[in-house]
Amino acid sequence: MNAIAIETTGLTKVYSSSFGKKKVEALFDLNLSIPEGTIFGFLGPNGAGKTTLVKLLLGIIFPTSGSAKILGGGINDYRVKSKIGYLPENHKYPAYLTGGEVLKFFGKLSGLDGIILDKKIDEMLELVQMTKWKKSKVKTYSKGMMQRLGLAQAMLNDPELIYLDEPTDGVDPIGRKEIRDILIDLKNKRKTIFLNSHLLSEVELITDSVGILNKGMLLREGTVKELTEKKEEYKISMEGNIENLPADVKRDANFINTGCGYYSFKVADTQDLNRILDLLRNNGIIIKEMVQQKNTLEEMFISLINEAESTANASQKESVK
Amino acid sequence: MKNLWILTWYTLREAMARKVFISFFIISILVLLVMGLIFGLSNNISLGVSGATHFENPIINVEMMIVSPLASLCLLLAIFSSSSFVPVMLEKGNIDLLLSKPVSRDQLLWAKFLGGILVVLLNISFLIFGIWLIISIKFSFWDFYFLNIIFSITFTFAVLYSLIVLLGVMTKSSTLGMMLAYFIFIILSPLLFLVEDKFNAFIKNKFLKDLIDAFYYFIPKTHELMGKVTVNLASGKAIDNYQPVLTSLVFLILTMGIAISIFRKKDF
Repeated sequence: MNAIAIETTGLTKVYSSSFGKKKVEALFDLNLSIPEGTIFGFLGPNGAGKTTLVKLLLGIIFPTSGSAKILGGGINDYRVKSKIGYLPENHKYPAYLTGGEVLKFFGKLSGLDGIILDKKIDEMLELVQMTKWKKSKVKTYSKGMMQRLGLAQAMLNDPELIYLDEPTDGVDPIGRKEIRDILIDLKNKRKTIFLNSHLLSEVELITDSVGILNKGMLLREGTVKELTEKKEEYKISMEGNIENLPADVKRDANFINTGCGYYSFKVADTQDLNRILDLLRNNGIIIKEMVQQKNTLEEMFISLINEAESTANASQKESVK
Repeated sequence: MKNLWILTWYTLREAMARKVFISFFIISILVLLVMGLIFGLSNNISLGVSGATHFENPIINVEMMIVSPLASLCLLLAIFSSSSFVPVMLEKGNIDLLLSKPVSRDQLLWAKFLGGILVVLLNISFLIFGIWLIISIKFSFWDFYFLNIIFSITFTFAVLYSLIVLLGVMTKSSTLGMMLAYFIFIILSPLLFLVEDKFNAFIKNKFLKDLIDAFYYFIPKTHELMGKVTVNLASGKAIDNYQPVLTSLVFLILTMGIAISIFRKKDF
């Protein structure tokens, strides 16, 4: 059983305007538990509260209610941050420093120094392929180069937990693949990665589990497999003529020809699935292959957010009545 | 402590990277060159008064005549150049990174405060030491008390800078802090001193008198710090009234205390 890297209990953040007249609930009653050594993807539309959560966990903002623990310590204990790496969205480095100097500054603040720090800087720059830009001022860097430097900065102190807010933002496809490989490598080294990203196809490729947030509320949480499975839908390849099946069987299963000899059908539950399979076999059909149908993470995400929006709109209309 | 030093050092580097500090040094060098030229060309200046006590030496008057306007100019430049240290630190993308490191919020703010003071101390030291060296060589009069001006200007700056830090934390902007510091230095402090010193006896209304007194004691006494206190220190006299120093120090402690208390709880 893995230890818990991040744990939140009823974590809530409400922003108030200057005179407290207007309140915005950025995060509401969030309960989350992320085991060590995993990659957790945090998804949600703009303004869903993803960055708010990361900022709460890093003590950049303070919770209105609820509590959280990171690596067993409280979020307000700044010393625990020596075991944490962070790549914020739109990070800003002192423009007058070179890439190497930026890493030196943040490395020193993380408690590294001397030869160990110098060695680590070279190692990280090599990893993100920025060695030849080490002595160039960061004001000359492109967006993609800034992201690479940011990633090097986040990994510099060999952290146990890394928060990455849109790490591939502005990075070209080859760079994205390289960053993905780095993240997988970190996971293999038992590091915990908390990933905020809009690029769902990427998240799907590397995360162990994901949480979907909308308007400050956690809608779903689970492994990518759990979230993308269409529980009642199967795809089947059969030998034999399906047209010869009795009408009641065809109506019951509601087979849809998806081409190339494959049919899809929906069932109510596992018992129903077995009943239909028995009916097929009893009618001389040989089953060659059967797979459970899956959504892509993107399809599931969009349908979930739309569903949440419609529910919210409906309840709003109801309350107006 | 190590983090405090690292952050202070990088504040100094930030200052060095800004053109305004280079301008400060260029102005200082120009002033020193002009002084050197004038004193170099005038061979017959002889201000030494034999038998005069140290306080009566006219060279001290020459020093003060040169330094008084320059000190005020230095302070104005120092306020201008350091007012953005805190707001820049609080910019989105910058403060997030700093707060994600194992550094306490108190350390971050103290480092910006100390860094600002260190920068001004270096700039002022360069100018004052240069002036002192030229005058000392020219008149062969080595008045070490003159160098005390470095500390009185730096202290006056620190008092005003604490207010800039507080307003920087509250508003994330450099404009308000800078304007208020200028207002206190140029208008409010001289005005309150004038009222307290010359017109207090004529004010009959007790409430108004108490109000002016309260204002006078609360607002940092930059006019007296840069005037009487600096002159006394520079000429080697004892400070006859410590009240302006102490009340200004209380102001500094109070404003920094409030700034830290707000910074500890602020969301970024």
